[in-house]
Amino acid sequence: MAPTRGSSSKGSSSKGSSSKGSSSGGGSKGSVKGKTSNFSSDSRVSKSSKKNAPKRPPPKEVKSKARTAPENLQKKKKRVYTEAELDLPKLNSITPVGVIKPKGKKKGKTFVDDSEGMMTILAMVNAEKEGQIESKMMKARQLEEIREARKNEMESRIAEKKGKLEAVKDTIRNKKKGGKPGAKDESSPAASKSSGSKFSKPKRKSVSFA
Amino acid sequence: MRQLTEEETKTLFSKLAHYTGRSLNSLVAPTDGGPQMVFRLQGSRVYYMPLAIANLATSIPRDNLLSAGTQMGKFTKTGKFRLNLTCLDVVAPHARYKLWIKANGEMPFLYGGNVVKAHVGRWSEDCPEHSGVIVYNQDDTPLGFGGNISLGRLNMRELTNGQIVSARATQEAKKLDPTGIVLFRQADVGEYLREEDTLFTT
Repeated sequence: MAPTRGSSSKGSSSKGSSSKGSSSGGGSKGSVKGKTSNFSSDSRVSKSSKKNAPKRPPPKEVKSKARTAPENLQKKKKRVYTEAELDLPKLNSITPVGVIKPKGKKKGKTFVDDSEGMMTILAMVNAEKEGQIESKMMKARQLEEIREARKNEMESRIAEKKGKLEAVKDTIRNKKKGGKPGAKDESSPAASKSSGSKFSKPKRKSVSFA
Repeated sequence: MRQLTEEETKTLFSKLAHYTGRSLNSLVAPTDGGPQMVFRLQGSRVYYMPLAIANLATSIPRDNLLSAGTQMGKFTKTGKFRLNLTCLDVVAPHARYKLWIKANGEMPFLYGGNVVKAHVGRWSEDCPEHSGVIVYNQDDTPLGFGGNISLGRLNMRELTNGQIVSARATQEAKKLDPTGIVLFRQADVGEYLREEDTLFTT
């Protein structure tokens, strides 16, 4: 590299020096050197280097290729870490949990074009719907049964209550029949008339509302 | 105009199956000698048409295409499907539950009213509550559909408390009083006049 540089400098400097020499009027120097009249101070330096050349070690080439050479640039390949290797906490990552889409899967919508695919979906939907209806019907039937049972229970309870009331009434009536009529008149003066009439007409008593 | 995705197809069919029975298969499968029918999505609206028309429709730019075939309904922004009145002619032959209304009940229904028990001529037996029902007049002409059959029993407690009529099954509707609502209207052919301006707007 160095020698080539020197040679190039020689050529370039020679022109400049010649012009300089002509302006300054130093023609004597050129004459002293003889044939190489267009050699300037640079050429002299090169000369001196030539002299020292045997003493110096030969220039070593440090780099074979520039850092920006395409080969060098290509060679460097950074290692790519996978998510698992990084072991980052899931909440700290960029993509939220559950949003990650499987890699290599086709992007976009998947259309149902063929009738077979449609029929399978339809069959699935139909089965689901029928199951729902069936369960609904079952539920309705069960609810109806429960309602009926409750109704019957309520009716029986009411009947029982009525019966009890009737029984109590009967006992009271019997008591009245057996007890003294005068005592009743004292306790309830308002009902004295009716009770008096009842006593006089025992047949009507069974019909009247207590 | 494009085909439906799997999810959309499922949503559409589950809605249609709400009103129709097993015979829904014949909507998709080609009938004997008939053309193959397909569903297509344009914007948010779903159309039902023969395959030949769907193929022809591809030559029309999306922005210019207003409608093709029979409009079935539309997808809402939340991904649900709403049936449109225009699907009645497609759905009615495959109806699962039917209800025939008397002549005196036709007009109230066609003006957008719910069906009351007094107007019911007859209805499908064993109809569970909240199921889709197609409404016919006495001449078997489909007049519309009601989403929920609510053959509701209006007892006195419900009336006095001002509660909403609870939806009940067919069996219970027998106990219902004549003014009790039997079916909530979802669409009726009266909409062709009432909603004339907005029925086909996208």
